[in-house]
Amino acid sequence: MSSIWFLNGLRKGIKTERYPSADPAAAPQWPSRLSGSDAGNCPVDAITSDGWIIEKCIFCRRCLPDYQPTGEQDIFTVKKAETAFRKSFHVFPLDSGACGSCNMEFLSIFSPQYDANRLGIFMVNTPRHADAIVIMGVMTPGMKEALDRAYEAMPEPRLVIALGACAVTGGIVGDAPLDREKYHVEIAGCPPSPYTVLAALNAARGGINSHTDSGWRSEEVR
Amino acid sequence: MRYYRFGNPQGRFLGNTEKYSVYEKVISEQKHEMPAETYQNLPGELTFAYGPATGGLMESVAFNMHTPGEVIKHIEVDPYVKTRRLKVKGLTPRDALLMVERINGFHAASNAVAFEMAVEDALDIDVPEEVQYSRLIMLELERIRSNLEVVKRVCEPAGFGVPQNQIAYLRENVARIISRLSGHRYFFSASSVGGCQISKSGIETRIGGVRKEFQEIFDALLQSKIFLNRLQNNGNISEGSLLGPAARASGMKVDARLDEKLIPYRKLGFRPVIFDEPDAFGRFYVRSQEILASADMILEALDNNENSTEVDTAGMNGEGAARIESPQGDLFYYVKISDGRIDDIQMSSPSLLNIDAFRKSMAGNIFTDYHFNWESFGIWISELAVVMQ
Repeated sequence: MSSIWFLNGLRKGIKTERYPSADPAAAPQWPSRLSGSDAGNCPVDAITSDGWIIEKCIFCRRCLPDYQPTGEQDIFTVKKAETAFRKSFHVFPLDSGACGSCNMEFLSIFSPQYDANRLGIFMVNTPRHADAIVIMGVMTPGMKEALDRAYEAMPEPRLVIALGACAVTGGIVGDAPLDREKYHVEIAGCPPSPYTVLAALNAARGGINSHTDSGWRSEEVR
Repeated sequence: MRYYRFGNPQGRFLGNTEKYSVYEKVISEQKHEMPAETYQNLPGELTFAYGPATGGLMESVAFNMHTPGEVIKHIEVDPYVKTRRLKVKGLTPRDALLMVERINGFHAASNAVAFEMAVEDALDIDVPEEVQYSRLIMLELERIRSNLEVVKRVCEPAGFGVPQNQIAYLRENVARIISRLSGHRYFFSASSVGGCQISKSGIETRIGGVRKEFQEIFDALLQSKIFLNRLQNNGNISEGSLLGPAARASGMKVDARLDEKLIPYRKLGFRPVIFDEPDAFGRFYVRSQEILASADMILEALDNNENSTEVDTAGMNGEGAARIESPQGDLFYYVKISDGRIDDIQMSSPSLLNIDAFRKSMAGNIFTDYHFNWESFGIWISELAVVMQ
């Protein structure tokens, strides 16, 4: 391999998949949308007589075989999209008390397979430059002030996004950082896969995740 | 306890739990104190606060750097700003495992396996060697991914975008291998007390592919004098209690896999990667070589591994401990089980000693060295900022 990195990079070719215009190439089973009924063995009460509560689920597989994973990655809810961010969407991640896996999955959307930058989605180093704050983890006392100050520092309009079961409902670990009515976007999963995170951020700025009806499957680049 | 005993401090110090100090074969109630060093700024010096929530940090952690402008004279690290409280006591081992896996999600396999082995030690549960091979595959795959992430992050402050992205690509490929193997990208719910459930279909070719691509990137990185200059003599540390890659980079032959009696590392002829440069370059080098070595071990272990189901622990009693080599060093678990429920649980994370080593190695460095040095230790805050209730 040449140490001339520019040529080296060109030689490797394009590694980015077409998601979210096409179906995910390597969607994980856990977590993904579950399908089923009648399971009673849920450690976080995500399965009730009314069905499956997506935001509480930690995808621990105890509901097998009554519930089965479908591989569908659309396990998020957008309550409010902000189309002002359609062309460029700058997000600031904040770890309020995460185990590290949500942090890694968030970071993974910038790896070549997903390349969130190509969609105009960028990570910023300060909330002052952010259109949205992405909160990961449960609430911990030491991070409360940092969370409040980060939110106050953001310019308007702004979105608040909860990433992962801990941030949305507290998951199995503790309490959620904010009341759920304060979230504009809720991304379920423990942790949500990069496919889910990317589609949720795209939807939050009014983008279209056309993979759901495109029938166009990406190839996994190896 | 078959492998540990309570006693006076003896041997290599590995870290502190909430109640105990942990050594190679001894758990001691006599706590090894690690007093925080304070620093008073001299005239003209200032304290630069960095964190807890800002760019460049993967997790929430706060630094205070004392400096006259460029040189960092002293650094304080507060890893406890995001301390979580997990309710583990009173749970069955099965339910407790759901919590343990989420102590450090990126090293979930290490935490899960160490906890399971401590429970098995407590309850005299024998696990077949073929199943221990499956655990070895889990641990080494996790090590590959973790080391890839560290090497990637070391490239980042150098502005080395091409190798950084090529390694990010490999790291994601390993996450997908893990997902195929265990059903989950972070090994959550892949193993259990007495058991392990993984599928090795098509794994061999993919692991071989990652190994080959990383070898090419690593060889090319070693040719870049500018990159190496940013790492060499940055963050020298060769004395004191060092663990994991930081210890091995400074020439110490320390690795929990050498002491391991149940997971069959010895049968695979395991030999730790030892180097003699106790700086960020040495840590980068050791971690890179360990990626290659772990891939080789996995390929061999795939011939021998089997799965097994969970063991019922209802109504059982006992006290046990286990230590494994997580990607950043010795990870220790102690459990006491009464009537099938967790009565006490103690964990010692390698992050404690690695943060101490990082802090000491920073004195005299300049600001632009900080990022390389911090990332070269591969420290995970979540594993330290946790209290098990």
